[in-house]
Amino acid sequence: MTTGFGDVIHLESLTKFYGETRALHDIDLTVRVGEVFGYLGPNGAGKTTTIRTLFDFIRPTSGKATVLGLDSQADAREIRRRVDYLPGDIALYDRMTGRELLKFLANLRGGVDWNYVEQLAERFQSDLNPRIRTLSRGNKQKIGLIQAFMKRPELIIMDEPTAGLDPLMQQEFYALVEEVKAEGRTIFISSHIVPEVERICDRVGIIREGELATVEDVHVLKDRALHQLEFRFAQSVPPEVFANLPGVRDVVVEGTTLNGTVVGSPDAMVKAAANYEVVGLTSRETSLEDVFLAFYDGDSPNAA
Amino acid sequence: MLRNVFFKSLQEQQRSLFWWVIGLSALNIVTILFYPSFANRPELNEIFEDLGPLAEAFMGPIEDFTSPEGFIDSQLFSFMIPLLFVAFGIFSGSGSIAGEEERGTLDLLLSNPLHRRQVILEKFGANLIAMALLGVGTWIGLVAGAVMVSMDISWLRLAEATVSSALLGTSFGALAFALGSARGKRGTAAGVSAAIGVAAFLLNTLVPLVELLEPLTRISPFHYYNSAMPLFNGLDPLHAFALVATTAVLFIVALVTFERRDLGIG
Ligand SMILES: Nc1ncnc2c1ncn2[C@@H]1O[C@H](COP(=O)(O)OP(=O)(O)OP(=O)(O)O)[C@@H](O)[C@H]1O
Ligand SMILES: [Mg+2]
Repeated sequence: MTTGFGDVIHLESLTKFYGETRALHDIDLTVRVGEVFGYLGPNGAGKTTTIRTLFDFIRPTSGKATVLGLDSQADAREIRRRVDYLPGDIALYDRMTGRELLKFLANLRGGVDWNYVEQLAERFQSDLNPRIRTLSRGNKQKIGLIQAFMKRPELIIMDEPTAGLDPLMQQEFYALVEEVKAEGRTIFISSHIVPEVERICDRVGIIREGELATVEDVHVLKDRALHQLEFRFAQSVPPEVFANLPGVRDVVVEGTTLNGTVVGSPDAMVKAAANYEVVGLTSRETSLEDVFLAFYDGDSPNAA
Repeated sequence: MLRNVFFKSLQEQQRSLFWWVIGLSALNIVTILFYPSFANRPELNEIFEDLGPLAEAFMGPIEDFTSPEGFIDSQLFSFMIPLLFVAFGIFSGSGSIAGEEERGTLDLLLSNPLHRRQVILEKFGANLIAMALLGVGTWIGLVAGAVMVSMDISWLRLAEATVSSALLGTSFGALAFALGSARGKRGTAAGVSAAIGVAAFLLNTLVPLVELLEPLTRISPFHYYNSAMPLFNGLDPLHAFALVATTAVLFIVALVTFERRDLGIG
């Protein structure tokens, strides 16, 4: 069932109100077979609400969601059988050990290869013996990840999967995502971390205040990404040399320090700086707000 | 033990159930050990009679407190046992769906191939079994006490009175279960059920003091629990049925309300 064509997730004018609060507004979205789809948005954007609708924990106020061609409400059980899920802020059965919990879930799901579970536990350096109550947040998250991957389902939906993971474990997670993708299976990930989405996703949907701002291939997002660069030179430099470079803006020179924002590739700016003696260089990570600015700012970020 | 939701839910209650069983059977044994000192003092009957109708309300309409049945009914089945069974029912009923939802584990549970109604069914079934086990433990305590003081009382009647208590406890457990399934709030489910339990108990015990209002007791589950005096006469099928029917209706309420609402958003 993993091969074949069609939409894995399909949202049609999905709208959700919590009382007066509008959490989702008219979301139309399609996730295709075999892709890693990133659902990117700031806190409170509606990511968790969308995901919990797919498993029929939440009923849409209007609109409709299908998963693997199945209706999210009428066929909830079949969806749960074929799709695995990592809840955001996952709560586990605290009194069980990791092994007991995974055994329990494996029993409920059927078709879990226990060797693969052990293998996953090893990759995540996850000790399955202690009671879950005694685990640190990151180590709980690892148990959550193991249960989401262990049945090798055709679709995995994960709500902020790397929350609480240290960088090494994040890498392990990215590697696992690659493997799942190589097997032709589909992954849907929510996140508010831009570099993470850039790194592992094929396509990205950006959601803000319950509305889907855009759906793009990830390289488009990369092209629009902002880099905040700060150069410290041996002597002062003429600002106009930098201000007129393609994609560069907000150039400010103070003494021998130059600050600037680059949309897309920072190549031209770095090469221009190389004509002078550089004594220091700082690059600030792109924030989600920056990405939104790039999307909504008047001057076209694609001019380059 | 981890095969399905039913066994998992039963296992979650295992430790607390163990202590409830210990507590209840100990209460029964210790209470019955006092019986010999009552049995030889028929003058106590007159003292109790002098206490008037309020005492009768709480201890049952019993002529003879010094008979085995009279003693056990007044000391255990009029107040302590039903109270504790109702408390256990509310404790386990409110912990089921609402407990899972408040702890946040409901998402994980329902990400498995299960219908919502299946979770309701298995969790409710687990609670029924837990209550049955508490009943068995209580009965064993009663029998053990009776044997220790060579009390002449029917083990079958003890069982029937215990079953009546378990049915009462189950109906309040079903109330807490239904409230928890409908709203997902453990504290509310337990609190409201306990308040209704106290009101129902007072209704059944105090209202009969005013003869005109006596028929009102028929809306209290406690009426169906003990008014037919199962320890003396055996389980009254109609009264037992009333408690089972109450439970069944509340179970359906749990099914329907849980099926319809958004989960984990409270
Ligand atoms: N139970 C609830 N009752 C009322 N409003 C809610 C509830 N849950 C979420 N909301 C609101 O719905 C909106 C979307 O919330 P949601 O949890 O889906 O955001 P999110 O994108 O997952 O955020 P985060 O990145 O913080 O996890 C928010 O405005 C939030 O305040
Ligand atoms: Mg969220």
